[in-house]
Amino acid sequence: MDEKDLFLADIRKSLGYSAQDARTTQECASLFASADDAAVLERIQYRTHVEKQALLKILQENAEKINLDVQPVKSLADAATRIVEIVEKAEPEFGHTKQLIQHDDTVLAKLQLWKRFSGKAVQVHTAYAVDSQVREKSIASYVGLTAPRWAVAESATIVELGEPGRPRSTSLVPSVHIALIHLKDVLAELSEVYAMLRQQPPEHSCLFISGPSKTAEIEAHMVHGAHGPRQVHLVVVDEQLKEAEGLRGSGLFSS
Amino acid sequence: MTLQAGRNYREEASKGLDNDCLQKSLKKLQNNFGKGAMEYWASMTDSGLRDRAKNTRMETLANLDVVLSTLAENVEKAGGHVYFAKTAEDAVNYCLRVAAKNDVETVVKSKSMTSAEIGLDAALKGSDIEVLETDLGEYIIQLAEDQASHTIAPCIHLNRSQIGRLFEEKLAVALHRRYPPNLPDCQKSTLRHKMLDADMGITGCNIACAETGRISLVSNEGNIRMVTTMPRVHVALMGLERVAATMEDHQGLLQLLTQGAALQKLSTYVSFAGGKRLAGDPDGPEEFHLVVIDNGRSKILGDNAFREVLACIRCGACLNICPVYGRIGGHAYLSPYSGPVGAVVSPLLFGINQYADLCKGESLCGACLDICPVKIDLPRMLLELRYKLAYGDRKWQTRKHDRGEALVFKLWRISIAAGPLYRLALRCGYWMQRPLFGRKSLLSILPGPAKRWCADRDMPSLAGEPFSRRWKKRHGKGRTQHGVKDG
Repeated sequence: MDEKDLFLADIRKSLGYSAQDARTTQECASLFASADDAAVLERIQYRTHVEKQALLKILQENAEKINLDVQPVKSLADAATRIVEIVEKAEPEFGHTKQLIQHDDTVLAKLQLWKRFSGKAVQVHTAYAVDSQVREKSIASYVGLTAPRWAVAESATIVELGEPGRPRSTSLVPSVHIALIHLKDVLAELSEVYAMLRQQPPEHSCLFISGPSKTAEIEAHMVHGAHGPRQVHLVVVDEQLKEAEGLRGSGLFSS
Repeated sequence: MTLQAGRNYREEASKGLDNDCLQKSLKKLQNNFGKGAMEYWASMTDSGLRDRAKNTRMETLANLDVVLSTLAENVEKAGGHVYFAKTAEDAVNYCLRVAAKNDVETVVKSKSMTSAEIGLDAALKGSDIEVLETDLGEYIIQLAEDQASHTIAPCIHLNRSQIGRLFEEKLAVALHRRYPPNLPDCQKSTLRHKMLDADMGITGCNIACAETGRISLVSNEGNIRMVTTMPRVHVALMGLERVAATMEDHQGLLQLLTQGAALQKLSTYVSFAGGKRLAGDPDGPEEFHLVVIDNGRSKILGDNAFREVLACIRCGACLNICPVYGRIGGHAYLSPYSGPVGAVVSPLLFGINQYADLCKGESLCGACLDICPVKIDLPRMLLELRYKLAYGDRKWQTRKHDRGEALVFKLWRISIAAGPLYRLALRCGYWMQRPLFGRKSLLSILPGPAKRWCADRDMPSLAGEPFSRRWKKRHGKGRTQHGVKDG
């Protein structure tokens, strides 16, 4: 018997089972019974645009409480404009150069940020899987741009799934994190994320982000940017957005 | 683990009571988080969640052998290693072996009570490995060579000027102002390159999920993400009970954890780790090790009276409401686990005799049961521990804790059962106390063995006219059917 068998034998003994005979999941089937997600998945699938816009409102309200900036925009071009504004406003925290790193994502590529920043002192990197210097570029960057899989209205959470081309560090090491998402990927609550994750379990990493990094260790005084980003901006693309709503944002960083 | 050398409950409690900064912080903490959690439980829409979570926790514990082997199977499927450590030494030795194999020079840690339980830091330092805590509170505690005093706010006993002075001394920095926002920045700039360059990251585990083979870690600062993303090796330590069978169970526990701990719908970061970096993955650890630790837990699991304490999800909510913890602070509990849950878990893990003061110090008011997200009956288990101390228990190797006290209670039981004798004793007591009390009704000093009793409280005098006589006088024969006459 190796250390694992001995260890589990001790547990079986404590639980009143025979120490020798290993048990299987069939013997506690109810504990491992899989959740019935059909209704939840159907609800997500058939959610109307108006309902999704209502979710965005809830997302904005909840985001404001945790200092997550939500910016609804009407098009990718508008999204690029917003991102440029945010990048230009932010000052590098470590070092003096202005560098940005973005996930290798088709939508992010369409923003053509390199064009927007040409002639300006901002260098744009993309985290291509083949690039062996992604780590160094992430550390040198003060802005990280990602395309998360979902956003959750209930808790103002961004869900990032890692994979080649989508480093975990993009949303962690730079001082400012900008996430770009389409309204269709805004979910109502956490249970919907869990249902989606059960449908297609992520092979690589999975991460929930709710607002900027923070600490209240010293005299319960809230400080943002403890080890992760001090600002997080979520840009939501909604083609049917009415002009007035697009400009409002959540107020925190909007001009 | 033995009692933290040279410290005892009584002295540490007195120190806590005298620490003005701690008193202020505890009051604030309990007013915000304790009251807030109670209000949240009362108003939550899914009012059955806590009961369901408790049930699944208990069912998981009852099938822990299967749940843990499923977890191990799935972690290994994802390329991770799982080590089952029977004792603290086994766990420490395994971590040292992993460190040696990978030529580790620097370890960055995120807050893990389990690592404190097994004494990992000292062992790593003994192997000439630099060990750095990355959670701001734990980092401050490490610099000050102090002990954590709260589960999620380890340095609440220190104020900004103490911490500022500490940073100036230990980090050789000149702080412009000892203003809270400056202090985390100061830590960040000191620690950032260490975190980016460290060889190994060590974390605890909030809740593992057997079905997916992932462990989940919650943090607000982002230090846990750093520790699990940047170094080559990630070692996660978990007590054998910190596991949910399915994602569905995991979700409920995660939400209860972040609400109970800090009234958050979700903490800023929830990371799901486990397995090694896959082909093409740009970052994440090249090696992942999960160390599942028994260290006395299977004995608790095997005792129906105490199994329930393993359902704890370590949110620290009971600390935020306990009137005893709220006065004496965390140091008096002499263990990484403080507060009401510490008063139950520490004696069971480290020895009931040695930790006898903890269960006696709690007030049994029941607030910890009310606030617990998974409704663990801590008061019942505190009583259970006291029973074992009063009468001795072979399985837990408790000896009768105080024979003098046992004798007093025995005499008390005999006299109270014999009515006239009891009344006579009261009468005698009343006359005998007169020279002591005079006209006072409360006494601060008593002679002989009773002296210690008065060290922390006053002794009320026996009434000239006992309650039973007053009752008779007032209600006389006028007893109604329900026992007491109105008015």
